[in-house]
Amino acid sequence: MSTPAVAEAHAHDHGPEENKFQLFVEIAMLLAVITGIEIITVYLPFASWLLVTTLVFFSAVKFLFVIFIFMHLRWDKPFCTILFFIGLFLGGGTMWALLKLFGAAASFPLSSAGM
Amino acid sequence: MADALAKSGFIGKDDGHAAPKTFVLWRPTAKTGLMGWLTTVDHKRIGFLYGISALTFFLIGGIEALLIRTQLIVPNNHFLSAQQYNEMFTMHATTMIFLAIMPLSAAFFNFIMPLQIGARDVAFPRLNAFSYWVFLAGAIIVNLGWFMKDGAPNGGWFGYTPLTTKLFSPNHAIDMWVMGLQLLGVASIAASLNFIITIINLRAPGMTMMRLPVFTWMTLVTAFLLVLAFPAITIALVELMMDRLFGTNFFEVSNGGMPILWTHLFWVFGHPEVYILILPGMGVISEILPTFSRKPLFGYPIVVFSGASIGFLGFGVWSHHMFTTGLGTMGTAAFALTTMVIAVPTGVKIFNWIGTLWGGHISMRTPMLFALGFIWMFMLGGFSGVMHAAAPADAEQHNSYFVVAHFHYVLIGGSLFSLLAGIHYWFPLMFGRKVSEFWGKLSFWIVFCGFNITFFPMHFLGLNGMPRRTFTYDHNMGWDTGNMIATIGAFILGIGVAVYFVVMIYTYFKGERTYKDPWDARTLEWSLPCPPPEYNYRVIPTVHARDNWWYEKHHQEEIAKENAEHEEAEEAHGGIHMPFQSIYPFIAALGILIGAIGVAVIDPDPGPGLIGKKLAVSIIGFLIFFVAVCLWSLEGNEGYHIHPKKDE
Amino acid sequence: MSTAAAGAIDHHHDPSTSTGIPNKKLLMWAFLASDCMFFGCLISTHLIYRLHPPPGAPAARDVFSIELTSFSTFILLMSSLMMALAVNAIQKGNLKSLRVSILTTILFGSIFLGCQVYEFNNFVFEKHLTITNSILGTTFFTLTGTHGTHVAIGVLWLTLMYIRSFKPAGAEAARGTWLLLSFVHLVVFMATLGLSMYLVLHFARVAQAGAFGLHTCLHFAKVEYKAILGAVVGFLGLRWFALPRGAVDFDERHAIDVEMMGLYWHFVDIVWIVIFTAVYLLEYIK
Repeated sequence: MSTPAVAEAHAHDHGPEENKFQLFVEIAMLLAVITGIEIITVYLPFASWLLVTTLVFFSAVKFLFVIFIFMHLRWDKPFCTILFFIGLFLGGGTMWALLKLFGAAASFPLSSAGM
Repeated sequence: MADALAKSGFIGKDDGHAAPKTFVLWRPTAKTGLMGWLTTVDHKRIGFLYGISALTFFLIGGIEALLIRTQLIVPNNHFLSAQQYNEMFTMHATTMIFLAIMPLSAAFFNFIMPLQIGARDVAFPRLNAFSYWVFLAGAIIVNLGWFMKDGAPNGGWFGYTPLTTKLFSPNHAIDMWVMGLQLLGVASIAASLNFIITIINLRAPGMTMMRLPVFTWMTLVTAFLLVLAFPAITIALVELMMDRLFGTNFFEVSNGGMPILWTHLFWVFGHPEVYILILPGMGVISEILPTFSRKPLFGYPIVVFSGASIGFLGFGVWSHHMFTTGLGTMGTAAFALTTMVIAVPTGVKIFNWIGTLWGGHISMRTPMLFALGFIWMFMLGGFSGVMHAAAPADAEQHNSYFVVAHFHYVLIGGSLFSLLAGIHYWFPLMFGRKVSEFWGKLSFWIVFCGFNITFFPMHFLGLNGMPRRTFTYDHNMGWDTGNMIATIGAFILGIGVAVYFVVMIYTYFKGERTYKDPWDARTLEWSLPCPPPEYNYRVIPTVHARDNWWYEKHHQEEIAKENAEHEEAEEAHGGIHMPFQSIYPFIAALGILIGAIGVAVIDPDPGPGLIGKKLAVSIIGFLIFFVAVCLWSLEGNEGYHIHPKKDE
Repeated sequence: MSTAAAGAIDHHHDPSTSTGIPNKKLLMWAFLASDCMFFGCLISTHLIYRLHPPPGAPAARDVFSIELTSFSTFILLMSSLMMALAVNAIQKGNLKSLRVSILTTILFGSIFLGCQVYEFNNFVFEKHLTITNSILGTTFFTLTGTHGTHVAIGVLWLTLMYIRSFKPAGAEAARGTWLLLSFVHLVVFMATLGLSMYLVLHFARVAQAGAFGLHTCLHFAKVEYKAILGAVVGFLGLRWFALPRGAVDFDERHAIDVEMMGLYWHFVDIVWIVIFTAVYLLEYIK
C-alpha cells in the first residue's frame, strides 16, 4: 500500500526515463482524439454558448497537456510555470479587456460608416 | 560556489586564451581602441556605452525642446513652421523617452545590477552587447529623417492613426519612425530577458530575493514590464506597417478597419512604458536615501511589494489615456477606478522614503539634494496624475497643457532627477572620481528652479484652455504671460543642464580621486575598488543580510576568513572564468539596421525597378543578420581563466 | 560515442545557478511569456474585428475548409510529439534517434507549411479572399501568416540543429572545412525541401483539378522533370552528408540547446491550438 505508492512517487521524482517515450506517445494520441472531438462538436445541434464553452474547454485541456508534459513543466521547478503563467494571464487578461471594450455598446461602429 | 561552477554541465569550458579556431571563429582580444569597444561583452563597458548614448540624445532632445519653447515664447510666432513644429514635438518626445531616459536607466541596470548581486557579468554577455548595438541602430533610424528629404517623423510620439496611415502621411518619415521603434523594441526585450535571467539565476550565495538591493528589485520589475508591454506596440507597429506597405485594412475605415484599435494597442504598451520610465529612478532613490540618512530603508518588504504592484497594476489602466474617446460608461468607470488604485502603492513608497529619512543622520550631499527634489517634484506630478484619474475632470484636462505639466513633473521631477542623482552617486564607483560638492549643488539648484519655472505655469495654461501640439496661439487667449515665463524657465533649465554636463566632463578628467566606498554606503557594489576590475569580484561574496556591504564592514574578521576560504576554492578550480569577446553581436545588429532601413524605404507603388533595389537591401540586411547569428552560435560560449594577483 | 557519459548530466538541474534552472531554459520560458502577449494582441485584433463584421463581408465558414485545417492541426500535433522525442533522445545521448526525430519534426512542420500555402492560394484565387479586399482577409492572413512565419523559423532552426549535429570533433574541427561543408549542407537541405514542397503542392493542384490517373502522373513527371531531378539529387546529397565520418562534437551537453528549441516549437503548437479554435472552429457555430 504505502510502499508501492512510495516507489511510484520515487519513479516520478527522478523522471521516469523509460516511461517518458511511452507517455509522450500516449498524450499525442489523446490530443489527436480531442481534436477529433472538437471538430465533431461544431456540427452538434446545441446552443452556441454550450458549444463555445466546450470548445474553449477542450482547447484549454490540449494547451495544458502540451505545456505540462511536452514542455516538461510538470517536472521542472515551479518558477518556470509561474514565469510562463504571468505572460499567459497578462495576455489573456488584455485580450479579455479589449474584447469587453470593443463589445460595449459605445464601441459599435456607426451604421452609416464606410458602407 | 566555485565547486558548483566547475561541476555545471551548462557552462562552456576553458578554451585557452583566445585560441584561434577557424578563420571566422577567432575570438577578439583587444581591450582598447575601436575593436575593443565593438567586441566588448563586459557589462560595465556596455553600461558606459548606453550612458554616453543616452546623454548625447538627451542633449539633442533638449535642443528640440528649446526650439519648441522658442516658437511658443510669443503668440503668432514664425520661428518654426507648423510642419517643423510637428517634427519637433514628435522627436523631442521620442528622443527623451526612448533614446535618453530608457538607455540611461539601462546604463545603470548594466553597470550596477550585476555588482549588487555579486555576479561577474550578466547571464548572456553577447546578447547584452547585441542589445546595445540594436538600440543604437534604432536610434539612428529614428533620427535619419533629419537628413532626408521626407523629414523627421511628425505624427507625435504616439503615432495615432489615421494620421499616420499612408493616406495622410504619404512619405517615408513615419516608416522610419515605425522601423526605428521596432528595433528599439527588439533591443529592450533582448536586454530585459538578460536582466531577468541574471537577477533570478546569478545571485551570489546567500543572496535571497528579499536581500536584493531595491535598485535590483526595480530592475527586475522593469525588465518584466518591458518584455510584457513591448509586444503590444510591436503588433500595433506591424499592423500599421502592413497598412502602409501592403494596403491591408487594420486602420482603413472604408474597408471595416477601426483607427481606435491603434490607440488601444499603443496605450496597452504606453502605460506600462511610463512605469518603465519611473521605476528604475525609484530604485535609485531607494539606494540613495538610506546611504545619506545612515539608516536602512524603511519598510523594505513593502517598498518591494509596492514596486511589483505598480508594475502589475500598470497593465490595467491604459484607457485612462482615452477617457474622451467614448469608451462607454462601464469602460470609463473601470479604468478610472484602476487608475486611482495604482496611486496607492506609489503613495506607500513615498511614505516609506520619508520614514527612511525620519530620525536619520542626514548628509546633504548632491545625490541627496536630487533625491529630496525627486520626492517633492514626483509628488506634485502624482497629484496632477490623480486629478486626471477622475474621468470627468480629465474631460477638461485631456489634450491641454495640464497634461504636459503633469508628465513633465513626473518625468523630469521624477525620472530625470533620480537618474541625475544616480550619476552623482555612482560616478565615483564608475570612474574613480568624485564630483565637486559646490558645482554639483549649483547645477541642482539651477535645474530645479528652471524646471519649476518652466512647468508650473503650464498647469494654469492647461486649465485656461491651451491645447497641446499646436504650433502657435493667438494673443488674446490670455496665454501670453504663461508661455513667456515657461520659455524663460526652459532656458534656465538648459543652463542648469549645461552646467551639470560641464561639471561631469571636467570631473571625469580632473576630478578628485576616490578609491573605495567614498559615501560609506550599504550595498555590495561599494565593496569593490573604484573603478572595479574587469572581473568585478576577486572572490564571490557570501551574503549574510540585506545591505550586505554594511554587514561586511561590521563583521570584518568573519568576512576575511570566509573570503580566504573561497579564494582557495576558486584557485583550485582554475581561477576566474571570463567570457570571450565577440564581433558577431555588432555584425548582427548591423544586418538588422540595413534590413530595417530597406523595409522603411520600400514604396508600395514604386517606379520601375525601384522596389527590386530596395527589397534587395532588406534581403541583404537580413542575410547578414542570419549569417552573424549562425556564427555567433557556432563560436560557442567558452571562455578563458584569469588569476588576479592578491593585491589587485 | 558518449555512452560512457550517458546520464552524467542532470538535465533538469544546473548547480551553478541560484535556482537550479539552467539559464537557457529560463531564457526561453521568459521569451515565451513575452510571445504570449505578442500573439494575444494579434489574436485580439482578429477577434475584435469579428465582433461586428461590416455588411457584405465574406462569411468565414464559406471560405474555410475544415478538413484541410483539421489535417494540418493533426500534423502539427504530431510534429510536437516528434520534437519531445528528439529532446528525450539527446538527453540520453542517442544521436541517431535525435536526428531521425528532428528530421520527422521538420517533415511534419513542412507539411503544415505546405497546407498553409495551399490554403492561402485557395483562399486568394478560388474564394477571392485577399489580404487587402476585406477586414477578414487582413486579420486572417496576418494572424495565420505570422504563426506560419514562426513555424518556418522553427523549421530553419531545426535544420540548423540537424546540420550542427554533424560537426566533427577534435582536430578536424580546427580546420575550416566543416564550416564550408555545413553551409553547403544547409543550401542543399533548403533547396531539396523547397523543391519537394513545390512538387507536392503542384501535384496536389493538378490532382484536384483533373481526373487522377496514370496519365496525369506521367504528364506531371514530363512537365516537372527538372524539379524532380533536382529533388532526387538533393536527397542523394543529403544521404551523403549524413554518412558517418568519425566522432562528432554533439552529445548530451547539447541537450539544453535542443530542449530550448523544443520549447519554442511546442509554443508554436499551442498558439495554433488557440488559433484553430478561435479563428476556425468558432466560425462554424451560430
